[in-house]
Amino acid sequence: MILADSFRVAWIDLCFIRRNLSSVLITSLVGPLLYLVAFGYGLGKGMTVDGFDYMSFMIPGIIALTTLTACFSTTAVKVMVQRTYFQSFDELFLCSMNPAAIVLGKAYGGMVRSLISCAILYVVGLLITPDLRFTLSAVLMILLASLTYSLIGVVAGMLSNSHLTMNMITALIITPMTFLCGTLFSVDALPGFAQAILYALPLTHTTDCIRSAMLGTGFEWIGFAVTMVYFIGTFVICYYLMVKGKR
Amino acid sequence: MTGDIIVRARGITKRFGDFTAVDHVDVDVRRGEIFGFLGPNGAGKTTTIRMITTLTQPTEGTVEIDGRDITKDVSSPAKEDIGIIQQHISLDKDVSVLENIRYHAILHRIPRKEAEERIERLSRMMGLEPYMDRLVLNLSGGWKRRVAIVCAIIHEPRILFLDEPTAGLDTQSRHMLWDLIRGLNANGTTIFLTTHYMDEAEELCDRVAIIDHGHLVIQGTPEELCMGIGSWAVEYRDSDGVKQYRYFTDMEQSRAFQESLPLGSRVVSRNTNMEDVFLEVTGRDVVATEEVTFRI
Repeated sequence: MILADSFRVAWIDLCFIRRNLSSVLITSLVGPLLYLVAFGYGLGKGMTVDGFDYMSFMIPGIIALTTLTACFSTTAVKVMVQRTYFQSFDELFLCSMNPAAIVLGKAYGGMVRSLISCAILYVVGLLITPDLRFTLSAVLMILLASLTYSLIGVVAGMLSNSHLTMNMITALIITPMTFLCGTLFSVDALPGFAQAILYALPLTHTTDCIRSAMLGTGFEWIGFAVTMVYFIGTFVICYYLMVKGKR
Repeated sequence: MTGDIIVRARGITKRFGDFTAVDHVDVDVRRGEIFGFLGPNGAGKTTTIRMITTLTQPTEGTVEIDGRDITKDVSSPAKEDIGIIQQHISLDKDVSVLENIRYHAILHRIPRKEAEERIERLSRMMGLEPYMDRLVLNLSGGWKRRVAIVCAIIHEPRILFLDEPTAGLDTQSRHMLWDLIRGLNANGTTIFLTTHYMDEAEELCDRVAIIDHGHLVIQGTPEELCMGIGSWAVEYRDSDGVKQYRYFTDMEQSRAFQESLPLGSRVVSRNTNMEDVFLEVTGRDVVATEEVTFRI
């Protein structure tokens, strides 16, 4: 019932994505593809990291950061706009909908955008680097990460009342995570205290997990578990906000 | 007498920090009536309607829809009996009219075939057919409100809440909406509307309640409320040129008072209306009230 209702909640956001598919894809892919060209073919040419050429090392990182940026920007902005500008978010509370269905439903838009973008980047990666491989464990991690970061977006959307607040959250939390969580370089190269801080953030674990799965060096179960903890934590926060906090 | 009462609110209160927007308001709405909730801007009308429809959690108090408490259970099935047209049109403006209406049918779990039939019937009734594929963003305010109406009634609610439905509408749209409200009510839908237009309350409502500064001041039928202050109103200007009003229970008293006024005074004698009631119970004009806005 909750699952079926969550798809009902998501329907209008999926309509928006279908209606604006080319714009959604362009805005999701331009950044990651620029990283690929600038860092992969530019700065990183001839470099090796952890025994792999830099391109092979970096592409899983770019996929990881895409899960964060695509999911967060889609759900956070959508929820904030629907709450404060369109005020259409209210309509969800006028039906006999379980708050868990609303939480999940609002996350699906970000997930869909992330999965399409990651699929394209994954295919590009498989075509240009021989070290990368297609694994179900990588797909599983991309799915979990997309859901988790979409929920983080829902939290931000519920707590922000303007684009300015949203830009602050993006500038202070999302952008630093994007660059520092081992997506473009190995976190092991940093001092111990910096590593401790970065390993407290979910994207570091997502990156490790996706990278190890795509490079075939095993599956980082700890990373998967930490991301799962973040998923459960953000789900509980979202649920609380739907039931009490912002109504 | 729960059977006759479709909405029963008891002691509903909303506080925002130190400010009490709505203070222990009791409301009973009878099945099948048009109930008007009057008050100046910032009096607590919207907060009250949002608490009754579960969009805002009351700080205190309970709300029952048809005998079922909806303040406790956020996913109460009783919500399916409610439709609301908010003051600020609550539509997803970056998708089409049809997508918005279909979305509401989906949210209310209306079977697809039945939903399509209702969409066709309601869009025809509201004259929306040429606009179905347009983005809501590109419609004028009046057309957006029509879309909002279809979205609010697509699941055939038993009680429809309208928060200042005619605010900002032109005369034609206003009368169209009045006709629609009467039509829905004639088909058995109970109507709860807030307004600060006294003529709208007189035109449409079976019973009205007036709220001011978060307190329910008075309620009854428009006739009862007018009779309560006196059926005859006399408007005149005092020696300082300030307009004054006096109300009388019969015409004889009204005539006697007029004759007591200085010769040459400009006097208007007429039946008492809802605006008089409002002035008497709140002591000031609706539009002169300072607006207090809170994000809820």
